[in-house]
Amino acid sequence: MSEYIRSYDKTHNSRLQILIASAIVIMTFSILISKLWRLQLIEGEYFSEMSYSNRTRLLRLAPPRGSITDCNGKILAQNQPNFSLSVFPGELREPEKLIEIAPSILGISPERMRIMLLNAANSPKYKMFQLKRNLSIEEVSLLKSNLGDTKGVVIEAKPYRQYPYRESLCHVLGTLGEISSEELMKSERFVYKPGDLVGKTGIEKDYESYLKGEEGWNQIEIDAKGRQIGTTNKILPQKGADIMLTLDIDLQKYVEQVFVERAGSVVALDPETGRVLALVSKPDFDLNLFSPSISERNWKNLNSDPLHPLENRAIRGLYAPGSTFKMVTAMAGLSYGVIRPETTFDCAGELEVSNQTYRCWKQRGHGKVSLHKALVESCDVYFYELGLSLGADRIAKYASLFGFGTASGIELSNELPGLVPNSAWKQRRYGSPIKDGDSVTMSIGQGYLLSTPIQMAAMMAAVANNGKVMKPYLIHKIVSADGRALFENQPVQKWDTSFDYKHIQLLQKALKDVVEDKSGTGRKSFIPGLRVHAKTGTSQVITEKDRITEMDQVPYHERTHAMFVAYVNDRPKKIALSVIVEHGGGGGAVAAPIARKILCKYYDIPESPQ
Amino acid sequence: MAYFEIHNKFVVSFGRLEWSIISVSVILTMIGIALIYSATASLGVHDKTFVVKQIAWFSLGIVMLTALLIVDYRIFEKYSFWIYLGIIVALIVVWSIGRVTAGSRRWIDLGLMRFQPSEFAKVAVVLALSRLLGEKFGSAPIELSDLIKPFGIIILPVALVLVQPDLGTAIVIFLIGVSVVLFAGPSKRVVAWLFAAGISVMVWTYFFSGKLLLDYQKKRIATFLNPDYDPLGSGYHIIQSQIAIGSGGLTGQGFLQGAQNQLMFLPVKHTDFIFTILAEEFGFIGCLIVLGLFAAYLFRGLSIAHKARDGFGSLATFGCISIIFWHVTINVGMVMGLLPVVGVPLNFLSYGGSSLLASFTITALVANVSMRRFNYYS
Repeated sequence: MSEYIRSYDKTHNSRLQILIASAIVIMTFSILISKLWRLQLIEGEYFSEMSYSNRTRLLRLAPPRGSITDCNGKILAQNQPNFSLSVFPGELREPEKLIEIAPSILGISPERMRIMLLNAANSPKYKMFQLKRNLSIEEVSLLKSNLGDTKGVVIEAKPYRQYPYRESLCHVLGTLGEISSEELMKSERFVYKPGDLVGKTGIEKDYESYLKGEEGWNQIEIDAKGRQIGTTNKILPQKGADIMLTLDIDLQKYVEQVFVERAGSVVALDPETGRVLALVSKPDFDLNLFSPSISERNWKNLNSDPLHPLENRAIRGLYAPGSTFKMVTAMAGLSYGVIRPETTFDCAGELEVSNQTYRCWKQRGHGKVSLHKALVESCDVYFYELGLSLGADRIAKYASLFGFGTASGIELSNELPGLVPNSAWKQRRYGSPIKDGDSVTMSIGQGYLLSTPIQMAAMMAAVANNGKVMKPYLIHKIVSADGRALFENQPVQKWDTSFDYKHIQLLQKALKDVVEDKSGTGRKSFIPGLRVHAKTGTSQVITEKDRITEMDQVPYHERTHAMFVAYVNDRPKKIALSVIVEHGGGGGAVAAPIARKILCKYYDIPESPQ
Repeated sequence: MAYFEIHNKFVVSFGRLEWSIISVSVILTMIGIALIYSATASLGVHDKTFVVKQIAWFSLGIVMLTALLIVDYRIFEKYSFWIYLGIIVALIVVWSIGRVTAGSRRWIDLGLMRFQPSEFAKVAVVLALSRLLGEKFGSAPIELSDLIKPFGIIILPVALVLVQPDLGTAIVIFLIGVSVVLFAGPSKRVVAWLFAAGISVMVWTYFFSGKLLLDYQKKRIATFLNPDYDPLGSGYHIIQSQIAIGSGGLTGQGFLQGAQNQLMFLPVKHTDFIFTILAEEFGFIGCLIVLGLFAAYLFRGLSIAHKARDGFGSLATFGCISIIFWHVTINVGMVMGLLPVVGVPLNFLSYGGSSLLASFTITALVANVSMRRFNYYS
């Protein structure tokens, strides 16, 4: 009860403050209302006048978008003006004149014109209504001379995006599209307008803020008839920044040309810096289809294509790395001391682990195999044995060291990280511990392992670079319209694997002999006078498929992926690359010749038959 | 006993449900939705996204209001510091995210990172201050030594919001804090000190504003002093919004008929400049009704603050009311050209989820204090 009294006592001591506060509220609201009174009732006439007659109108001047160029400054994406005919329905006083003159210039029937104007009349009065776009220069000049001073008719020049190299680098450059209402809301303070074109994919999207530029305004005076009588004020739009890529478009185009197979990917990096030299994903599409906007039919075709041409396989294609992964298993074995360089295993063509038979690609077996021979001839059984003693977790640790399982960090936003399975993951995903069989399949890059082409190229770059892992990058620099460099990329070392130098040398020698030894699996990439290091891979799509079947009898989607990774690091110009041909068959047979052509072009070596 | 307590807690409390404050909030929100519809109709014929989203936020606000009314408001007193801490962490997160983006986009726009925990920061500051000052409220005057902690409570979010940079919100948080301190019953000495500090801050800002304010903020203040100074840039907003308000006249041009609204593109007209649409389409009478609703809300709130059962309830109610008061004053003053353009929303009316939810939190707190003013527990 005492609590009751105490609490009650506390309440009635704020009378003075409440009185002052009420007075302040009354005072403030009086000020607001009197100002409102002045604006609306005393000066209201004047403001209505300003609002209706003698109007100055503010026209928005869209900023020209920045260009994207290759490392030599060749234009890959740029703006071109596009003219369109629009009307302001609220101001159109002489629609008959428009129906009389415009159809003959535009080559459409007067009935069609009448219908379009009826639609315009039913749309918001003050919003521009577009009648036709993509006008030719002749159409523009005819329209201007005949309808130029008709009230409510506007001929608008709007830039559209043009891609001179068409489908080259399409996945990297990306597309533009009309801003969606969601994007419009999110970017409220960027002052986008409905109908604006914004980047939807690739660099166009990820670097939108740089490419966009800043809009300008044109304040024009309009007389009673709605004609422009002068410009009272003008702020010019500012062009967006230009983006220069690390790629050479000529090499890129060449790589695209030599990749004649249906689907797959090529990634080439400079191992020392991580610069991207080529990034190809097939099939591709013509970027100009999207500019200024893609037709429904084209969009449907692209979207429903079973080969998914819109997908950027170089950073989003997930493949089991196959035998190319054997170098990871080898480095793990050497580093953990599970094997020594001279350790041998017997390959009898197959190995039985927990009641399951795992076969070597060579049915007769390789006999007594050392690590060197196992890499050169890609013996599976050697790595089964090694994987069995290592266990999945230790292989996984080294896979991560080579960059598998995490996004490479290239400047494209939708890169996939791939997957490196370990016991924790298996427990989480399947609720069962990792088994010996998992370690065995993992040792030759099969099973749950998933990697992207750029990860495979980065792995090769790390080997070429004696274990230093560089971050791949493809933006060279960003230059503002007035010539200032806003951003210049520097090579970033992600980490150093700190492998024993002797082990790396051993691996590098084996990779050299993959190409140069007559029993090597990568013979088809041999180039006289160039020291190519490489590893082949053939990644199975369907497990336990009967291997006796001839290639052309296997349905396309069940054929193996052909993989080939290679590097050259004893020239001033270095390169590391990965070639993946989806459902292409064997890596040595299908992917290696493509790599050979790319290397010949890169080093300017005439391509002679082997 | 147990029965009596439960009965007292729920049945009796809800019997005294604070209808006036709640219905004013709901009416204002509905007016707001109509205005947002009009403001965004010109953006695109088929684009109803803004209205749909605001209605969704409104529904969520009602659910939240109900939830916050079920518990006794003393729970907010108990957890006020934790709520405050959570908001501070959110502000730091927003700031660090903003910093990362600014590192790569500095030259485009600094405004992008004005994300919204700052709306709730206002309420959190009120709760924390009420907890600190509520003990002494009514029993003894607040002395200077009592103000050390409250000062910290106020200045931390002000600083965090200022670096966003969001000058408007920083000023509002500061003003709210000062309002609560003044309401808590300071001694004459404290009042004198606060007055002197206020004057010196003003002088100091006047001389050092060159270094403190960002370019666009300076521009806005210059524009406020002389709207014609930059008619295409920042002055443009004020001139256009004055034309819009003025052309509304006594009865307005009618719903969806405002020429300024439909024609001119004000990028924030559905958020911070929503009042101009009210003024243009519904005229002086429409504005009077809305301002009258706000005034009713404020006076009812003051009366609740007066009658609250304890110091915390009284201070928290007053603090919440002061949030609404400062928002209305600054926002309406700004669109009419009485005050510089700073980003302050108009409670209940402006488009935006966090602003609307924060407004309903305020209503819930005030109504909660009102409902439970006769509940006493030993």
